[in-house]
Amino acid sequence: MRDNVTDPNAASRRDFLRGSSVAAATAVLTQTAQVGMDEAAAEALATQQISAQSGTISVTLQVNGKALKTEIEPRSTLLDVLRHRLDVTGPKRVCDRGSCGACTVILDGQAVYSCTTLAISSQGKTIRTLESFDTGEGGVPHAFHQNDGLMCGYCTPGFVTACQALLEKNPNPTLEEVKKGLDGNICRCGTYVGVIQAALDAAKAIKV
Amino acid sequence: MKAFEYVGATSVDQAVKALTPGSAPLAGGTDLINRMKDYVTSPERVVYLNDVKELAGISGDAASGVTILAGTRLAEILASEVVKSAYPALWQTTSEVATPQIRNMASLGGNLFQHPRCWYYRSGFGLVPKTTDGKHMLREGDNRYAAIFMTDGDALYVHPSSLAVPLIALGAKATLVGPEGERTVEVEELYKVPTSNSESPFATKPGEILKSVTIPASKGKNASYEARHKQAHDWPLVMASVNLTFSGETVSDARVVVYGVAPVPWRSKAAEEAIKDKVITVESARSAGEAAAAGAKPLSMNGFKVSMLKTVITRALCTSAGNKYWEA
Repeated sequence: MRDNVTDPNAASRRDFLRGSSVAAATAVLTQTAQVGMDEAAAEALATQQISAQSGTISVTLQVNGKALKTEIEPRSTLLDVLRHRLDVTGPKRVCDRGSCGACTVILDGQAVYSCTTLAISSQGKTIRTLESFDTGEGGVPHAFHQNDGLMCGYCTPGFVTACQALLEKNPNPTLEEVKKGLDGNICRCGTYVGVIQAALDAAKAIKV
Repeated sequence: MKAFEYVGATSVDQAVKALTPGSAPLAGGTDLINRMKDYVTSPERVVYLNDVKELAGISGDAASGVTILAGTRLAEILASEVVKSAYPALWQTTSEVATPQIRNMASLGGNLFQHPRCWYYRSGFGLVPKTTDGKHMLREGDNRYAAIFMTDGDALYVHPSSLAVPLIALGAKATLVGPEGERTVEVEELYKVPTSNSESPFATKPGEILKSVTIPASKGKNASYEARHKQAHDWPLVMASVNLTFSGETVSDARVVVYGVAPVPWRSKAAEEAIKDKVITVESARSAGEAAAAGAKPLSMNGFKVSMLKTVITRALCTSAGNKYWEA
Protein backbone atom coordinates (compact mmCIF):
# COMPACT_ATOMS: atom_id res chain seq x y z
CA MET A 1 0.00 0.00 0.00
CA ARG A 2 2.88 2.35 0.80
CA ASP A 3 4.12 2.05 -2.77
CA ASN A 4 0.77 3.07 -4.14
CA VAL A 5 0.89 6.19 -2.01
CA THR A 6 4.14 7.29 -3.61
CA ASP A 7 2.79 6.62 -7.09
CA PRO A 8 -0.90 7.48 -7.39
CA ASN A 9 -0.98 6.00 -10.89
CA ALA A 10 0.10 2.55 -9.78
CA ALA A 11 -2.50 -0.09 -10.47
CA SER A 12 -4.58 -1.29 -7.55
CA ARG A 13 -7.96 -2.82 -6.91
CA ARG A 14 -9.25 0.74 -6.66
CA ASP A 15 -8.41 1.41 -10.29
CA PHE A 16 -11.05 -1.07 -11.30
CA LEU A 17 -13.71 0.72 -9.25
CA ARG A 18 -12.46 4.09 -10.45
CA GLY A 19 -12.73 3.10 -14.12
CA SER A 20 -16.44 2.45 -13.84
CA SER A 21 -17.17 5.68 -11.97
CA VAL A 22 -15.30 7.90 -14.46
CA ALA A 23 -17.82 7.12 -17.19
CA ALA A 24 -20.70 8.13 -14.94
CA ALA A 25 -18.91 11.27 -13.75
CA THR A 26 -18.18 12.39 -17.33
CA ALA A 27 -21.86 12.19 -18.22
CA VAL A 28 -22.75 14.43 -15.29
CA LEU A 29 -20.02 16.92 -16.14
CA THR A 30 -21.16 17.34 -19.72
CA GLN A 31 -24.64 18.12 -18.50
CA THR A 32 -23.35 20.75 -16.10
CA ALA A 33 -21.28 22.38 -18.81
CA GLN A 34 -24.32 22.69 -21.07
CA VAL A 35 -26.26 24.56 -18.42
CA GLY A 36 -23.34 26.93 -18.22
CA MET A 37 -23.39 30.46 -16.89
CA ASP A 38 -25.67 33.14 -18.29
CA GLU A 39 -24.00 35.97 -20.19
CA ALA A 40 -24.64 38.68 -17.63
CA ALA A 41 -23.07 36.61 -14.89
CA ALA A 42 -20.10 35.82 -17.10
CA GLU A 43 -19.60 39.49 -17.88
CA ALA A 44 -19.91 40.44 -14.21
CA LEU A 45 -17.28 37.85 -13.39
CA ALA A 46 -14.89 39.15 -16.02
CA THR A 47 -15.09 42.73 -14.78
CA GLN A 48 -14.60 41.71 -11.16
CA GLN A 49 -11.70 39.38 -11.92
CA ILE A 50 -13.07 36.53 -9.90
CA SER A 51 -12.01 33.13 -11.03
CA ALA A 52 -14.63 30.45 -10.54
CA GLN A 53 -13.62 26.84 -11.03
CA SER A 54 -15.91 24.06 -12.18
CA GLY A 55 -15.81 20.70 -13.92
CA THR A 56 -12.66 18.63 -13.66
CA ILE A 57 -9.71 20.41 -12.08
CA SER A 58 -6.08 19.33 -11.83
CA VAL A 59 -4.71 19.79 -8.34
CA THR A 60 -1.59 18.97 -6.39
CA LEU A 61 -2.02 17.99 -2.76
CA GLN A 62 0.81 17.80 -0.22
CA VAL A 63 0.15 14.45 1.42
CA ASN A 64 2.61 13.00 3.94
CA GLY A 65 5.44 15.06 2.53
CA LYS A 66 4.81 14.16 -1.10
CA ALA A 67 3.27 16.30 -3.81
CA LEU A 68 0.52 14.18 -5.36
CA LYS A 69 -1.22 15.28 -8.57
CA THR A 70 -4.73 14.24 -9.41
CA GLU A 71 -7.98 15.41 -10.95
CA ILE A 72 -10.94 16.37 -8.82
CA GLU A 73 -14.22 18.28 -8.93
CA PRO A 74 -14.96 21.24 -6.64
CA ARG A 75 -17.41 19.04 -4.74
CA SER A 76 -14.87 16.25 -4.06
CA THR A 77 -14.21 15.87 -0.36
CA LEU A 78 -10.65 15.53 0.84
CA LEU A 79 -11.50 12.07 2.22
CA ASP A 80 -12.79 10.74 -1.10
CA VAL A 81 -9.82 12.17 -3.02
CA LEU A 82 -7.35 10.65 -0.56
CA ARG A 83 -8.99 7.24 -0.65
CA HIS A 84 -10.27 6.93 -4.20
CA ARG A 85 -7.80 9.00 -6.19
CA LEU A 86 -4.57 8.86 -4.23
CA ASP A 87 -4.81 5.44 -2.56
CA VAL A 88 -4.19 6.95 0.86
CA THR A 89 -6.64 4.67 2.60
CA GLY A 90 -5.76 5.26 6.26
CA PRO A 91 -8.61 7.74 6.85
CA LYS A 92 -11.87 5.78 6.81
CA ARG A 93 -15.26 6.74 5.40
CA VAL A 94 -17.82 5.84 8.05
CA CYS A 95 -20.54 8.43 8.75
CA ASP A 96 -19.43 10.87 6.01
CA ARG A 97 -21.11 13.66 8.01
CA GLY A 98 -18.42 14.84 10.42
CA SER A 99 -19.90 12.85 13.28
CA CYS A 100 -17.66 9.84 13.93
CA GLY A 101 -14.02 10.88 13.49
CA ALA A 102 -12.86 7.87 11.43
CA CYS A 103 -11.79 10.21 8.60
CA THR A 104 -9.59 12.43 10.82
CA VAL A 105 -6.48 13.84 9.13
CA ILE A 106 -4.02 16.54 10.25
CA LEU A 107 -4.37 19.61 8.03
CA ASP A 108 -1.77 22.32 8.65
CA GLY A 109 -1.21 20.87 12.12
CA GLN A 110 -4.88 20.72 13.09
CA ALA A 111 -6.97 17.57 13.37
CA VAL A 112 -9.96 17.93 11.03
CA TYR A 113 -12.65 15.73 9.53
CA SER A 114 -11.61 15.08 5.92
CA CYS A 115 -15.18 14.05 5.00
CA THR A 116 -16.41 17.61 5.51
CA THR A 117 -13.35 19.32 4.03
CA LEU A 118 -13.24 20.03 0.30
CA ALA A 119 -10.14 18.76 -1.49
CA ILE A 120 -10.02 21.93 -3.58
CA SER A 121 -9.69 24.01 -0.38
CA SER A 122 -6.84 21.79 0.80
CA GLN A 123 -4.42 22.84 -1.95
CA GLY A 124 -1.27 24.41 -0.60
CA LYS A 125 -1.87 22.97 2.87
CA THR A 126 0.06 20.23 4.60
CA ILE A 127 -2.01 17.05 4.82
CA ARG A 128 -0.85 14.30 7.16
CA THR A 129 -2.50 10.93 7.54
CA LEU A 130 -1.54 8.07 9.84
CA GLU A 131 0.50 6.47 7.06
CA SER A 132 3.20 8.99 7.99
CA PHE A 133 3.28 8.27 11.73
CA ASP A 134 6.14 6.60 13.57
CA THR A 135 5.16 2.93 13.97
CA GLY A 136 8.11 2.20 16.25
CA GLU A 137 8.00 1.80 20.02
CA GLY A 138 7.89 5.54 20.64
CA GLY A 139 4.88 6.13 18.40
CA VAL A 140 1.15 6.36 18.88
CA PRO A 141 0.25 3.23 16.82
CA HIS A 142 2.49 1.09 19.04
CA ALA A 143 0.77 2.38 22.17
CA PHE A 144 -2.62 1.36 20.72
CA HIS A 145 -1.23 -2.09 19.98
CA GLN A 146 0.21 -2.50 23.48
CA ASN A 147 -3.03 -1.42 25.15
CA ASP A 148 -5.36 -3.42 22.93
CA GLY A 149 -6.90 -0.07 21.98
CA LEU A 150 -9.15 -1.60 19.34
CA MET A 151 -11.72 -4.30 18.80
CA CYS A 152 -13.06 -4.27 15.23
CA GLY A 153 -10.45 -1.62 14.43
CA TYR A 154 -12.42 0.50 12.01
CA CYS A 155 -12.32 3.63 14.18
CA THR A 156 -8.65 3.10 15.06
CA PRO A 157 -7.01 5.17 12.27
CA GLY A 158 -9.15 8.14 13.30
CA PHE A 159 -8.33 7.68 16.98
CA VAL A 160 -4.60 7.30 16.26
CA THR A 161 -4.64 10.49 14.18
CA ALA A 162 -6.64 12.46 16.75
CA CYS A 163 -4.29 11.19 19.45
CA GLN A 164 -1.21 12.21 17.42
CA ALA A 165 -2.66 15.71 16.88
CA LEU A 166 -3.52 16.00 20.57
CA LEU A 167 0.00 15.03 21.70
CA GLU A 168 1.63 17.42 19.24
CA LYS A 169 -0.32 20.28 20.83
CA ASN A 170 -0.24 19.02 24.39
CA PRO A 171 2.66 16.59 24.98
CA ASN A 172 1.76 16.01 28.62
CA PRO A 173 -2.04 15.67 28.82
CA THR A 174 -3.99 14.78 31.94
CA LEU A 175 -6.64 12.06 31.84
CA GLU A 176 -9.32 14.76 31.49
CA GLU A 177 -7.43 16.44 28.65
CA VAL A 178 -7.09 13.10 26.83
CA LYS A 179 -10.83 12.49 27.16
CA LYS A 180 -11.64 16.00 25.93
CA GLY A 181 -9.04 15.78 23.15
CA LEU A 182 -10.45 12.53 21.79
CA ASP A 183 -14.08 13.71 22.07
CA GLY A 184 -14.38 13.90 18.30
CA ASN A 185 -14.00 10.17 17.69
CA ILE A 186 -16.45 7.37 18.33
CA CYS A 187 -15.77 3.68 18.93
CA ARG A 188 -18.96 1.65 18.67
CA CYS A 189 -17.25 -1.44 20.11
CA GLY A 190 -16.66 0.72 23.18
CA THR A 191 -12.97 0.13 23.75
CA TYR A 192 -12.40 3.59 25.18
CA VAL A 193 -10.46 2.36 28.22
CA GLY A 194 -7.72 0.95 25.96
CA VAL A 195 -7.73 4.03 23.72
CA ILE A 196 -7.35 6.45 26.63
CA GLN A 197 -4.56 4.39 28.20
CA ALA A 198 -2.83 4.23 24.80
CA ALA A 199 -2.91 8.02 24.57
CA LEU A 200 -1.44 8.39 28.08
CA ASP A 201 1.26 5.78 27.36
CA ALA A 202 2.12 7.35 24.01
CA ALA A 203 2.59 10.70 25.76
CA LYS A 204 5.16 9.07 28.09
CA ALA A 205 6.87 7.16 25.26
CA ILE A 206 7.24 10.23 23.06
CA LYS A 207 8.93 12.16 25.87
CA VAL A 208 11.59 9.49 26.44
CA MET B 1 -24.07 16.53 -3.57
CA LYS B 2 -24.77 18.52 -6.71
CA ALA B 3 -21.90 19.99 -8.69
CA PHE B 4 -21.12 23.66 -8.09
CA GLU B 5 -18.57 26.19 -9.20
CA TYR B 6 -15.97 27.19 -6.64
CA VAL B 7 -14.45 30.55 -5.80
CA GLY B 8 -11.57 30.56 -3.35
CA ALA B 9 -11.80 34.12 -2.02
CA THR B 10 -8.65 35.79 -0.71
CA SER B 11 -10.19 39.12 0.35
CA VAL B 12 -13.50 40.34 1.79
CA ASP B 13 -14.04 42.49 -1.30
CA GLN B 14 -13.57 39.49 -3.58
CA ALA B 15 -15.90 37.35 -1.46
CA VAL B 16 -18.69 39.95 -1.51
CA LYS B 17 -18.40 40.34 -5.29
CA ALA B 18 -18.38 36.58 -5.83
CA LEU B 19 -21.50 36.03 -3.71
CA THR B 20 -23.99 36.45 -6.55
CA PRO B 21 -27.59 35.15 -6.17
CA GLY B 22 -27.55 31.36 -5.91
CA SER B 23 -24.17 31.36 -4.15
CA ALA B 24 -23.39 30.09 -0.68
CA PRO B 25 -20.52 31.21 1.56
CA LEU B 26 -18.43 28.30 2.85
CA ALA B 27 -16.24 28.52 5.95
CA GLY B 28 -15.38 25.40 8.00
CA GLY B 29 -17.93 23.38 6.06
CA THR B 30 -19.18 21.45 9.06
CA ASP B 31 -22.77 22.56 8.34
CA LEU B 32 -22.95 23.53 4.65
CA ILE B 33 -21.14 20.48 3.24
CA ASN B 34 -23.43 18.15 5.15
CA ARG B 35 -26.49 20.04 3.89
CA MET B 36 -25.17 19.81 0.33
CA LYS B 37 -24.59 16.06 0.71
CA ASP B 38 -28.19 15.65 1.84
CA TYR B 39 -29.52 17.91 -0.96
CA VAL B 40 -31.03 20.27 1.63
CA THR B 41 -28.99 23.13 0.15
CA SER B 42 -27.70 23.00 -3.43
CA PRO B 43 -25.90 26.25 -4.31
CA GLU B 44 -24.77 26.95 -7.86
CA ARG B 45 -21.62 28.54 -6.52
CA VAL B 46 -19.65 28.12 -3.32
CA VAL B 47 -17.41 30.94 -2.12
CA TYR B 48 -14.75 29.69 0.27
CA LEU B 49 -14.00 32.17 3.06
CA ASN B 50 -11.70 30.34 5.44
CA ASP B 51 -8.57 31.39 3.55
CA VAL B 52 -9.44 35.11 3.79
CA LYS B 53 -6.71 36.28 6.16
CA GLU B 54 -8.37 39.63 6.91
CA LEU B 55 -11.35 37.69 8.37
CA ALA B 56 -9.43 35.84 11.09
CA GLY B 57 -8.24 37.10 14.44
CA ILE B 58 -9.15 38.51 17.84
CA SER B 59 -8.24 42.03 19.01
CA GLY B 60 -8.97 44.32 21.95
CA ASP B 61 -9.06 43.78 25.70
CA ALA B 62 -11.50 43.47 28.58
CA ALA B 63 -11.41 47.20 29.35
CA SER B 64 -12.30 48.43 25.87
CA GLY B 65 -14.11 45.44 24.37
CA VAL B 66 -13.04 42.62 22.09
CA THR B 67 -13.56 42.19 18.35
CA ILE B 68 -13.61 38.67 16.94
CA LEU B 69 -13.43 38.48 13.16
CA ALA B 70 -15.95 36.17 11.52
CA GLY B 71 -13.46 33.65 10.16
CA THR B 72 -11.81 33.04 13.53
CA ARG B 73 -11.90 29.31 14.30
CA LEU B 74 -13.59 28.23 17.50
CA ALA B 75 -10.27 26.69 18.65
CA GLU B 76 -8.68 30.16 18.38
CA ILE B 77 -11.47 31.67 20.50
CA LEU B 78 -10.72 29.01 23.13
CA ALA B 79 -7.01 29.88 22.99
CA SER B 80 -7.75 33.56 23.71
CA GLU B 81 -6.78 34.54 27.26
CA VAL B 82 -8.94 37.66 27.17
CA VAL B 83 -12.04 35.69 26.16
CA LYS B 84 -11.35 33.13 28.86
CA SER B 85 -10.86 35.67 31.65
CA ALA B 86 -13.30 38.44 30.70
CA TYR B 87 -16.08 36.56 28.90
CA PRO B 88 -16.35 33.13 30.57
CA ALA B 89 -19.96 32.83 29.30
CA LEU B 90 -18.62 32.75 25.72
CA TRP B 91 -15.50 30.72 26.52
CA GLN B 92 -17.41 28.01 28.39
CA THR B 93 -19.99 27.68 25.61
CA THR B 94 -17.31 27.55 22.90
CA SER B 95 -15.46 24.81 24.77
CA GLU B 96 -18.61 22.69 24.71
CA VAL B 97 -19.30 23.08 20.96
CA ALA B 98 -19.12 19.77 19.09
CA THR B 99 -15.65 18.18 18.99
CA PRO B 100 -11.95 19.19 18.80
CA GLN B 101 -11.95 18.53 15.04
CA ILE B 102 -15.03 20.70 14.48
CA ARG B 103 -13.64 23.47 16.70
CA ASN B 104 -10.47 23.39 14.53
CA MET B 105 -12.56 23.76 11.36
CA ALA B 106 -15.61 25.82 12.28
CA SER B 107 -15.60 29.61 12.29
CA LEU B 108 -17.51 32.07 14.47
CA GLY B 109 -19.49 33.22 11.41
CA GLY B 110 -20.38 29.68 10.46
CA ASN B 111 -21.58 28.94 13.97
CA LEU B 112 -23.81 32.03 14.02
CA PHE B 113 -25.22 31.29 10.55
CA GLN B 114 -25.58 27.51 10.74
CA HIS B 115 -29.00 26.23 9.77
CA PRO B 116 -31.38 24.66 12.30
CA ARG B 117 -30.79 21.03 13.20
CA CYS B 118 -34.49 20.10 13.16
CA TRP B 119 -34.67 16.61 11.67
CA TYR B 120 -37.60 17.47 9.42
CA TYR B 121 -35.64 20.40 7.99
CA ARG B 122 -32.56 18.20 7.52
CA SER B 123 -34.73 15.63 5.73
CA GLY B 124 -35.80 18.23 3.17
CA PHE B 125 -39.20 19.30 4.52
CA GLY B 126 -38.21 22.89 5.26
CA LEU B 127 -38.20 25.01 8.40
CA VAL B 128 -42.02 24.93 8.57
CA PRO B 129 -42.47 21.24 7.73
CA LYS B 130 -46.00 20.22 6.83
CA THR B 131 -47.55 17.09 5.37
CA THR B 132 -49.50 17.29 2.12
CA ASP B 133 -52.74 17.47 4.12
CA GLY B 134 -51.42 20.45 6.09
CA LYS B 135 -50.40 18.83 9.37
CA HIS B 136 -47.33 20.36 11.02
CA MET B 137 -44.74 17.61 11.26
CA LEU B 138 -43.16 18.98 14.44
CA ARG B 139 -46.43 19.77 16.20
CA GLU B 140 -47.92 16.36 15.41
CA GLY B 141 -44.73 14.33 15.14
CA ASP B 142 -41.56 13.79 17.16
CA ASN B 143 -40.96 17.15 18.81
CA ARG B 144 -38.86 16.14 21.82
CA TYR B 145 -36.13 18.68 21.02
CA ALA B 146 -38.41 21.44 19.68
CA ALA B 147 -39.34 24.84 21.06
CA ILE B 148 -41.35 25.61 24.19
CA PHE B 149 -41.75 29.34 23.52
CA MET B 150 -43.39 30.97 20.48
CA THR B 151 -45.16 27.68 19.82
CA ASP B 152 -48.37 29.45 18.76
CA GLY B 153 -46.52 30.19 15.51
CA ASP B 154 -45.40 27.75 12.82
CA ALA B 155 -41.63 27.85 13.41
CA LEU B 156 -41.23 25.19 16.10
CA TYR B 157 -37.55 24.26 15.66
CA VAL B 158 -34.92 25.61 18.05
CA HIS B 159 -32.20 28.04 17.08
CA PRO B 160 -28.99 26.04 16.52
CA SER B 161 -26.20 28.50 17.39
CA SER B 162 -25.02 28.10 20.97
CA LEU B 163 -22.52 30.96 20.57
CA ALA B 164 -25.26 33.44 19.68
CA VAL B 165 -26.64 32.99 23.21
CA PRO B 166 -23.65 34.28 25.25
CA LEU B 167 -22.93 36.91 22.58
CA ILE B 168 -26.46 38.34 22.94
CA ALA B 169 -26.18 38.18 26.73
CA LEU B 170 -22.91 40.13 26.48
CA GLY B 171 -24.56 42.76 24.27
CA ALA B 172 -22.36 41.99 21.26
CA LYS B 173 -22.77 43.74 17.93
CA ALA B 174 -22.30 42.15 14.52
CA THR B 175 -20.76 43.94 11.54
CA LEU B 176 -22.05 42.72 8.20
CA VAL B 177 -20.48 43.50 4.84
CA GLY B 178 -22.32 43.28 1.55
CA PRO B 179 -22.74 44.88 -1.87
CA GLU B 180 -24.08 48.06 -0.20
CA GLY B 181 -21.19 48.32 2.23
CA GLU B 182 -20.93 47.70 5.95
CA ARG B 183 -23.56 47.94 8.67
CA THR B 184 -23.56 47.06 12.33
CA VAL B 185 -26.49 45.48 14.17
CA GLU B 186 -27.10 43.77 17.50
CA VAL B 187 -26.35 40.03 17.27
CA GLU B 188 -30.00 39.29 18.09
CA GLU B 189 -31.03 41.29 15.02
CA LEU B 190 -29.30 38.74 12.76
CA TYR B 191 -32.22 36.37 13.21
CA LYS B 192 -35.91 36.30 12.39
CA VAL B 193 -38.68 33.77 12.57
CA PRO B 194 -39.86 32.42 9.21
CA THR B 195 -43.58 31.84 8.72
CA SER B 196 -43.20 29.66 5.62
CA ASN B 197 -40.58 27.51 3.91
CA SER B 198 -39.73 30.26 1.43
CA GLU B 199 -38.52 32.60 4.18
CA SER B 200 -35.01 32.76 5.61
CA PRO B 201 -34.28 32.45 9.33
CA PHE B 202 -31.67 35.20 8.91
CA ALA B 203 -32.29 38.95 8.74
CA THR B 204 -29.30 39.58 6.48
CA LYS B 205 -29.62 41.23 3.06
CA PRO B 206 -28.73 39.29 -0.12
CA GLY B 207 -24.98 38.89 -0.53
CA GLU B 208 -24.14 39.99 2.99
CA ILE B 209 -21.62 38.11 5.09
CA LEU B 210 -20.55 38.55 8.68
CA LYS B 211 -17.33 40.48 9.07
CA SER B 212 -16.88 40.64 12.82
CA VAL B 213 -18.51 40.52 16.22
CA THR B 214 -17.64 43.13 18.84
CA ILE B 215 -18.24 42.44 22.52
CA PRO B 216 -18.42 45.54 24.74
CA ALA B 217 -16.15 46.00 27.75
CA SER B 218 -16.68 43.52 30.53
CA LYS B 219 -18.25 45.41 33.46
CA GLY B 220 -19.80 42.79 35.69
CA LYS B 221 -20.02 39.04 35.78
CA ASN B 222 -21.11 36.60 33.10
CA ALA B 223 -21.57 32.86 32.94
CA SER B 224 -23.22 30.04 31.01
CA TYR B 225 -24.68 26.75 32.13
CA GLU B 226 -25.93 24.03 29.83
CA ALA B 227 -27.90 20.81 30.18
CA ARG B 228 -27.13 18.16 27.58
CA HIS B 229 -27.45 14.49 26.71
CA LYS B 230 -23.79 13.71 26.08
CA GLN B 231 -20.54 15.19 27.33
CA ALA B 232 -19.28 15.62 23.78
CA HIS B 233 -20.41 16.07 20.23
CA ASP B 234 -23.88 17.32 20.90
CA TRP B 235 -25.82 20.52 21.10
CA PRO B 236 -27.14 21.60 24.48
CA LEU B 237 -30.73 20.62 25.23
CA VAL B 238 -31.21 23.89 27.09
CA MET B 239 -28.54 26.43 27.99
CA ALA B 240 -28.56 29.82 29.67
CA SER B 241 -26.07 32.68 29.47
CA VAL B 242 -26.28 35.52 31.95
CA ASN B 243 -24.51 38.86 32.05
CA LEU B 244 -24.89 40.95 35.19
CA THR B 245 -23.77 44.37 36.33
CA PHE B 246 -23.84 45.18 40.02
CA SER B 247 -24.43 48.09 42.30
CA GLY B 248 -22.68 46.96 45.42
CA GLU B 249 -23.98 43.47 46.09
CA THR B 250 -27.23 43.82 44.18
CA VAL B 251 -27.81 43.27 40.47
CA SER B 252 -28.39 46.60 38.74
CA ASP B 253 -28.78 45.22 35.24
CA ALA B 254 -29.21 41.68 33.94
CA ARG B 255 -29.34 39.94 30.63
CA VAL B 256 -30.59 36.35 30.55
CA VAL B 257 -30.57 34.53 27.19
CA VAL B 258 -31.58 30.91 26.68
CA TYR B 259 -30.71 28.31 24.03
CA GLY B 260 -32.94 25.45 22.98
CA VAL B 261 -36.36 26.87 23.80
CA ALA B 262 -37.38 28.97 20.77
CA PRO B 263 -36.61 29.46 17.06
CA VAL B 264 -34.41 32.41 18.05
CA PRO B 265 -32.02 32.83 21.00
CA TRP B 266 -34.61 33.46 23.75
CA ARG B 267 -34.13 36.56 25.84
CA SER B 268 -35.97 36.03 29.11
CA LYS B 269 -37.12 39.49 30.19
CA ALA B 270 -39.08 37.83 33.00
CA ALA B 271 -35.91 36.34 34.49
CA GLU B 272 -34.06 39.64 34.02
CA GLU B 273 -36.78 41.52 35.91
CA ALA B 274 -36.87 38.88 38.64
CA ILE B 275 -33.15 39.07 39.45
CA LYS B 276 -32.83 42.86 39.19
CA ASP B 277 -32.16 44.65 42.49
CA LYS B 278 -31.52 41.29 44.18
CA VAL B 279 -28.43 39.78 45.71
CA ILE B 280 -27.54 36.53 43.89
CA THR B 281 -28.43 33.66 46.18
CA VAL B 282 -29.67 30.18 45.34
CA GLU B 283 -33.16 31.36 46.32
CA SER B 284 -33.18 34.52 44.21
CA ALA B 285 -31.69 32.60 41.27
CA ARG B 286 -34.42 29.96 41.61
CA SER B 287 -37.09 32.67 41.59
CA ALA B 288 -35.62 34.01 38.34
CA GLY B 289 -35.74 30.52 36.83
CA GLU B 290 -39.37 30.15 37.90
CA ALA B 291 -40.21 33.54 36.40
CA ALA B 292 -38.61 32.53 33.09
CA ALA B 293 -40.83 29.48 32.79
CA ALA B 294 -44.06 31.48 32.96
CA GLY B 295 -45.63 31.56 29.53
CA ALA B 296 -43.82 28.48 28.21
CA LYS B 297 -46.08 26.35 26.03
CA PRO B 298 -44.33 23.05 25.43
CA LEU B 299 -45.39 20.67 22.66
CA SER B 300 -46.49 17.06 23.17
CA MET B 301 -43.03 15.59 23.96
CA ASN B 302 -40.84 18.38 25.33
CA GLY B 303 -42.34 19.37 28.67
CA PHE B 304 -39.01 18.33 30.23
CA LYS B 305 -37.46 21.49 28.81
CA VAL B 306 -39.51 23.65 31.19
CA SER B 307 -37.77 22.18 34.23
CA MET B 308 -34.42 22.33 32.43
CA LEU B 309 -35.05 26.00 31.65
CA LYS B 310 -35.52 26.76 35.36
CA THR B 311 -32.41 24.78 36.30
CA VAL B 312 -30.02 26.25 33.72
CA ILE B 313 -31.02 29.82 34.59
CA THR B 314 -30.63 29.12 38.31
CA ARG B 315 -27.23 27.52 37.82
CA ALA B 316 -25.95 30.12 35.34
CA LEU B 317 -26.81 32.89 37.83
CA CYS B 318 -25.19 30.99 40.70
CA THR B 319 -22.10 30.24 38.55
CA SER B 320 -21.68 33.97 37.90
CA ALA B 321 -21.63 34.47 41.69
CA GLY B 322 -19.11 31.65 42.09
CA ASN B 323 -21.57 29.33 43.84
CA LYS B 324 -21.66 25.90 42.20
CA TYR B 325 -23.91 24.47 44.91
CA TRP B 326 -24.79 21.35 42.84
CA GLU B 327 -21.16 20.21 42.81
CA ALA B 328 -20.84 20.29 46.59
